[in-house]
Amino acid sequence: MAEAAPAEEFIELTGGRVHLLRGGTGEPVLFLHAAGGAGVWHPFHQALADAGFEVLAPDHPGFGKSDEFTEVDAIDDLVYHYLDVMDALGVARPHVVGASFGGWIAAELAVHSPHRIGSLTLLSAAGLRIPEHPVTDIFLLPPAKLIATLYHDPPAVPLTASPDAPPDLDAVIAAYRESTSLARFSWVPYLSDPKLERRLPRISAPTLVVAPSDDRLIPVEHARRYAARIPGARYAEVPDCGHAMYFERPAEFAAEVTAFLSAHPLAAAESGASR
Amino acid sequence: MKFSFFHLMPYPYLPDDFDTAYDSTALTYPNANFDPALGSALYARYLDELEYADQLGFDGIAVNEHHQSAYGLMPSPNLMAAALTRRTSRARIMVLGNAIGIRGNPLRVAEEIAMLDLMSGGRIDSGFVRGIGWEYFGHSINPVKSRSRFNEAHDLIIKAWTSPELFSWYGDNYEYRYVNLWPRPLQQPHPPIYIPGAGSTETMKFCAERKYTYMSVYAPTRIVRRWFDGYRQAAADLGYVPDPERIAFSVPIYVADTDERAHAEGRRVIEWLYHKGLKQTPQMVTPPGYMSPGSLRGVLSSGMRGLGVSTYEDLLASGQAVVGSPASVADRLGTLYAELGGFGQLIGLFAIGPSTHEQVMRSTELFATEVMPVLRPLGVKAEASA
Repeated sequence: MAEAAPAEEFIELTGGRVHLLRGGTGEPVLFLHAAGGAGVWHPFHQALADAGFEVLAPDHPGFGKSDEFTEVDAIDDLVYHYLDVMDALGVARPHVVGASFGGWIAAELAVHSPHRIGSLTLLSAAGLRIPEHPVTDIFLLPPAKLIATLYHDPPAVPLTASPDAPPDLDAVIAAYRESTSLARFSWVPYLSDPKLERRLPRISAPTLVVAPSDDRLIPVEHARRYAARIPGARYAEVPDCGHAMYFERPAEFAAEVTAFLSAHPLAAAESGASR
Repeated sequence: MKFSFFHLMPYPYLPDDFDTAYDSTALTYPNANFDPALGSALYARYLDELEYADQLGFDGIAVNEHHQSAYGLMPSPNLMAAALTRRTSRARIMVLGNAIGIRGNPLRVAEEIAMLDLMSGGRIDSGFVRGIGWEYFGHSINPVKSRSRFNEAHDLIIKAWTSPELFSWYGDNYEYRYVNLWPRPLQQPHPPIYIPGAGSTETMKFCAERKYTYMSVYAPTRIVRRWFDGYRQAAADLGYVPDPERIAFSVPIYVADTDERAHAEGRRVIEWLYHKGLKQTPQMVTPPGYMSPGSLRGVLSSGMRGLGVSTYEDLLASGQAVVGSPASVADRLGTLYAELGGFGQLIGLFAIGPSTHEQVMRSTELFATEVMPVLRPLGVKAEASA
């Protein structure tokens, strides 16, 4: 087993500092976190590291310990931001794994620069506009309803402090900052890029699309649409699981992802034998 | 002291189960609950009340903008102002204000205010507001851009009003290759500007730099005092003492012939405003980016409570409503005048809840005839400091 604690570092870019967690050794995996996952090194990440990958998990601009990057205020800016991050990290063609909001960024990165993606894994990715299957408005949900929306089987014990506890002002401000950063990219069009779907055929990397079976935030139809539009994509569903994904079913998500990554080594991708 | 009559134009007919069945009067409150026949009658009644205030000698009559809400039925304040230009002749017509943070095309606001100014013979006061939280959901405008959009729209509108020649505009939010306002406003260089403040030092400075009227919104006296002091300090930093008229205190007011009657009738009206009309979830109040993290920290640590938890007695005691006989109301407003360090404009919200037309007319008349004369000498610019 690899070291349990990831290394914490900062990448200096022109517009500010990017906070990054790095763990494991092996082929690089760029992990793009969900709206709620900045700075989290979860057993899921450790499982990827343990499976022989070097997991690189940066915080998005305005999330976690990364700077604001005020000029990064649209999804295309995020694509250029992550090309800069990849260049700064010296990874030419990593595996890219994105969850939810991070999955949207991963998909945009892959349509913009297909040649920079060794393999692509989308975990209940946002990004598509499917009016008949709208994404729940997370900005309007009170915290209790948000938990009920994120989990197939919502935890009995709240993840946050009890409602009776005095509010932690710093935590409230930090959450508001991340919510603001998310809104910067996704208020309207809501968590989507209407042009993304028709660009998906540009993706050339081997792709895995994973959906939790009971996603009350991003309907499963979104994952199915990704799988249908990305050439050769594999589709998998994790049963009895909500949008919280690896927070609810860590072992199942880790198993799906590590099996896929292991089956698509980057060297093979380089040689053109990716699928 | 100058006095204005501010109409919120509420839709007061909420269902009996409103408190338990709905989060708010706004955004998601089903419009099946709106009865068009009642709404049509309300508009006629409300315009009558504004016109009556003009006849009674109020210095101003005021309207505002709200969207998708029973709290206020004026998605377009400029339409109401237009109606008032033809049926009033003395009072200033105050649009408090156009929500330029959520407007798609701010040039349209410059055009409409210029039209209103011409139609009213130069009686328009032009307020600018950002638009409140739920309206960023309702009109699909990114609240993260709220401040930037507000500032840019303001700058564009002022330039459009005052530029004697065609210009081009290239900003973060708006681009116009041809700005060439027809018609231009009657008042020169442009109608007076009103800006509501809710504690932001940036807004205080913005108003003080331009000598705009800074007006308060619902808050306890001790907090409004801090805002007014902040505005006065911002002016002092710029080397001047603001004319009292540049500070406007706005407060719900209900007057009846006796204290007993005023409280018997006013309680329901004030409670409607704070407990029903303004009911909303925290997510609706503060969508992401609507406040800076620093401002949010300030609000959360200021001890301000949610409006819905304050009792009628709390609201009276904290200066968030003034109710009573003419003598009691004059006395209470005199006290608030002193506690707030003075102000030169009183913006009274006289029509704010389920009061009847007769009650509003009586309250307004009593205020005009018996309260205004008492308070009139207050808040006038001292000759010495002119």
